[in-house]
Amino acid sequence: MMEGTCPLALLAAGTEAKVTDVRAGRGMQARLLGMGFCPDARVTVQCADRGSIIVSVGDARYALSRGIAMKIFVGIAKGSA
Amino acid sequence: MTREIRIALTGNPNVGKTTLFNALTGSRQHVGNWPGVTVEKKTGKVSRNGCEFEVVDLPGTYSLTAYSADEVIARDFILDEKPDVVVQVVDATNLERNLYLTTQLAELRTPLVIALNMADMAEAQGNPIDYRKLSGFLEIPIVRTVGTRGEGLQDLLDAAVKEAKTSPHHEHTIGYGNEAEEMIAKLTDPLSADRTLSGKYPLRWLAVKLLEGDENVLAKVRGGAASARVQSILSSINSDEYEATMADKRYEAIAAILPQVHRTNTRGTTFSDMVDRVVTNRYLGIPIFLALMWGAFELTFTVATPFMTVIDTLTVWLAEFAVASIEPAWLGSLIGDGIISGVGAVLIFLPNILILFLILALLEDSGYLARAAFIMDRPLYALGLPGKAFIPMLIGFGCNVPAIMATRSIESEKDRLISILVNPFMSCSARLPVYVLFAGAFFGAHAGGVMFFLYVLGIAVAIASAKLFRSTILPGEVSPFVMEMPPYRLPTAMTSLMHMWSRGSMYLRKAGTIILLGAMLVWALASFPYGVEYGSAESFAGMLGHLVEPLVAPLGFDWKVAVALIFGFLAKEVVVGSLGVLYGAGEESLTDALFADPSLSAATALALMVFVLLYMPCVAALGVIKKETGSWKWTGFAVAYGIVVAWVLAFVVGHLAPFFIGGA
Repeated sequence: MMEGTCPLALLAAGTEAKVTDVRAGRGMQARLLGMGFCPDARVTVQCADRGSIIVSVGDARYALSRGIAMKIFVGIAKGSA
Repeated sequence: MTREIRIALTGNPNVGKTTLFNALTGSRQHVGNWPGVTVEKKTGKVSRNGCEFEVVDLPGTYSLTAYSADEVIARDFILDEKPDVVVQVVDATNLERNLYLTTQLAELRTPLVIALNMADMAEAQGNPIDYRKLSGFLEIPIVRTVGTRGEGLQDLLDAAVKEAKTSPHHEHTIGYGNEAEEMIAKLTDPLSADRTLSGKYPLRWLAVKLLEGDENVLAKVRGGAASARVQSILSSINSDEYEATMADKRYEAIAAILPQVHRTNTRGTTFSDMVDRVVTNRYLGIPIFLALMWGAFELTFTVATPFMTVIDTLTVWLAEFAVASIEPAWLGSLIGDGIISGVGAVLIFLPNILILFLILALLEDSGYLARAAFIMDRPLYALGLPGKAFIPMLIGFGCNVPAIMATRSIESEKDRLISILVNPFMSCSARLPVYVLFAGAFFGAHAGGVMFFLYVLGIAVAIASAKLFRSTILPGEVSPFVMEMPPYRLPTAMTSLMHMWSRGSMYLRKAGTIILLGAMLVWALASFPYGVEYGSAESFAGMLGHLVEPLVAPLGFDWKVAVALIFGFLAKEVVVGSLGVLYGAGEESLTDALFADPSLSAATALALMVFVLLYMPCVAALGVIKKETGSWKWTGFAVAYGIVVAWVLAFVVGHLAPFFIGGA
């Protein structure tokens, strides 16, 4: 069950979500897709108390600036956060 | 008669590609730059069963869509240079994302072998991969490797030979669904009419990239036989949509295979995540980082000191021996006073640099350096630099040469240029002898405080300059921060030592050649015209000093200081050595000689130290700036900017200091 979507940047630490859409513009989009941020990928915010966040996608961990994280849209699984 | 087989190593960042490269080629490596760009090109040689291999380490890349310089290089190399076989290094603990790149490599129709690296870690996590089955699904040979222990290397080479000799090649590609396939067919038709393109690249790959809106591929098509028709087809589509759909299809294809070859559940919170919660914590992050740095520099200086003393003693002894025993006397002087003293002055810092590099290698190989960049991203962002720029600034305290080389990890050219230009203001270890001498002579008990002031001043000038460049000559947004945080790993002694050596030896080699030439030049200037006293006012060096004196006179510097500053351009510690020659004193009593010189005051000494800190990058650093920026214009700018800033600040400090010093 999904409760609508919001940018990844707005999630609190520990939240699990599913990527619904990536709109990062030419080039960066391909990079993010290659890194595993594709629709339906499960992501978890590991750290969100700085200017950038740390997100896990599968077994990889990435630091993303909030600007980039605003361009990745996610749906939050009900009951998870 | 055997032929050399060329292997291109490719793969995502942080999959152990370089470790595997090192394990494969050992010491038979060559590090250079890719033509026209400032990305490191590493090649190495290895032989097996009478077969010679040339291994090229391509930059790490997440996808084959050309975005950063790294990605363009990796892709163009495979497409244009057509290596005999491409080896994709795959992180076995992160299969899904790694195979995404595989799907794109397969489209290039190049002979391909997968090195399933870090296979031991996947097994230790209770998640072994049935790679034979995976190989069957992908129709790509897979070899299990453990780069850190050198496992599977021979099998990998055997597989590469076999794959290179197999032809024609498989056509295993992803199906992108009806709509996209229709467009691909539509595009392939005109593309096949362009003989130059179709002779060089796989048509399907071209069509896929055009659908994704790849600028680089579009540029190849433009102006060719297919140009008009392709552009009219593309004008009616939204390439962002296609890019996302096709990425979906690739991941779908991977997701269909993966559950059959291993358990696909991802681990929840790992040990790395727990460490990260502490290390990147809002309150603890920076204190932990500072404590580590303080420890690192303590170690650098305390551990290095005995080695430095040995090298120093040895150099002095060798130089004296050469002067005393080599005939004719001029040759002894050239070897002793010139070459040995000059090169020795630089060699002395080799222990510092090796230890500093070892610590940095340990921090990097363990995965901590990525966290440091993450922690510093915010403060640096405010100053107009990305978090990644922090790592080179840190290395700059050791030596600006490797520091400037370390800016290569910064993607944006502007960010990188700013990082290079401000780096020389980070006070490197070569400036320390100058501070020790002058602060000791004129400030006595306050010497420590003066040195601290100089380090802080260097950082402040670097920061202010970054901000200035960002708002004037290099305007623009700081590139967004996207960086993988590799899991913490226990670095192995072997890989860290090799890492240290690859940087340290480069310093040694480059600084060595430049310094050697420079030392001979200084010696010649100080010795001629024939018959003058070595380093006297009548020598060329002395004439040069008098020539430059008017320029630095407002700062309170006389001709001797002017000569020392000119020579200091070779390496900043040479300032001390030159003054030693000009004052005709050994360095022990130089302190007294300087203190006794009526033309030098505490204020002048302080101005001099400020000037030495800032005035210009040394020859070795300049050489690296030229190499890394690829531009004489920016190299010249670095010199001019440094001199202007140094002159102004030294003038201000020299004229304000009497008020403060007088009051103290």
